[in-house]
Amino acid sequence: MIRTHVLICGGTGCTSSNSPAIRAAMEKEIAAKGLEEEVKVVQTGCFGLCALGPIMIVYPDGTFYSRVTEADVPEIVEEHLLKGRPVQRLVYNDTGDEKKVDGPVSLSETGFYKKQMRLALRNCGVIYPVVIDEYIVMDGYAALGKVLTEMTPEGSY
Amino acid sequence: MKTLEELAAIREKMKSKVVLREGSSDIRVVVGMATCGIAAGARPVLNAFVEEVAKENLSEKVTVTQTGCIGICQYEPVVEIFEAGKEKVTYVKMTAEKVKRVMDEHIKGGKPVAEYTIGNN
Repeated sequence: MIRTHVLICGGTGCTSSNSPAIRAAMEKEIAAKGLEEEVKVVQTGCFGLCALGPIMIVYPDGTFYSRVTEADVPEIVEEHLLKGRPVQRLVYNDTGDEKKVDGPVSLSETGFYKKQMRLALRNCGVIYPVVIDEYIVMDGYAALGKVLTEMTPEGSY
Repeated sequence: MKTLEELAAIREKMKSKVVLREGSSDIRVVVGMATCGIAAGARPVLNAFVEEVAKENLSEKVTVTQTGCIGICQYEPVVEIFEAGKEKVTYVKMTAEKVKRVMDEHIKGGKPVAEYTIGNN
């Protein structure tokens, strides 16, 4: 049973900084450690922080890794995915505050994201855009469904 | 797909595949998975929790994660359960068989299984 999702950015920026090779290395390493029934690798759309790419997020803990290289992959699998210890040197936790945080922070707490309110792009970096069911789970088509079935042209119910 | 009901059905059916990415829930089950934990059998315990949570349809309420060494290696496998507004509960010498009871009495029933906790071992 899957207990962890590893989201690897497949946007243009991270693709140019080698994320496809990292994804391949991650899948290979997960299989080598016998974790393929427990850990799923998911390709996502652009997280929006291309300068720090390739970007990787591990859920459910939400650890945010930046500038990951192929050489880092075995350490992430062994330490984090198997033993539950995030690889601190790769963790991006800059909250933009003077006081530095020790350890991982959630994406929405980082300096880059905390002032953003993403609407149309809120599922970017969360779902695999090729699988329509993942979009539907995140309320995809819900607004359209409401408009077509519950609302009138005047905008009232 | 022709109706809202169909849309809702797909949403419900697929939810478990994505719910992990929503981050921490009300209850966090943390399994010690350092070398000591793994050696003492923490992986079957971790997987038993993951399977039970999915089976009981509690994925939105309960997050199962691992952590490193808590420092009480002789008591491994150690499982800590965190719930907002409540004291942390530390279970020791856990096994996959004990997981079911912790799920029923603690996670679902709200009452920790005292005999498995660190105070009683």
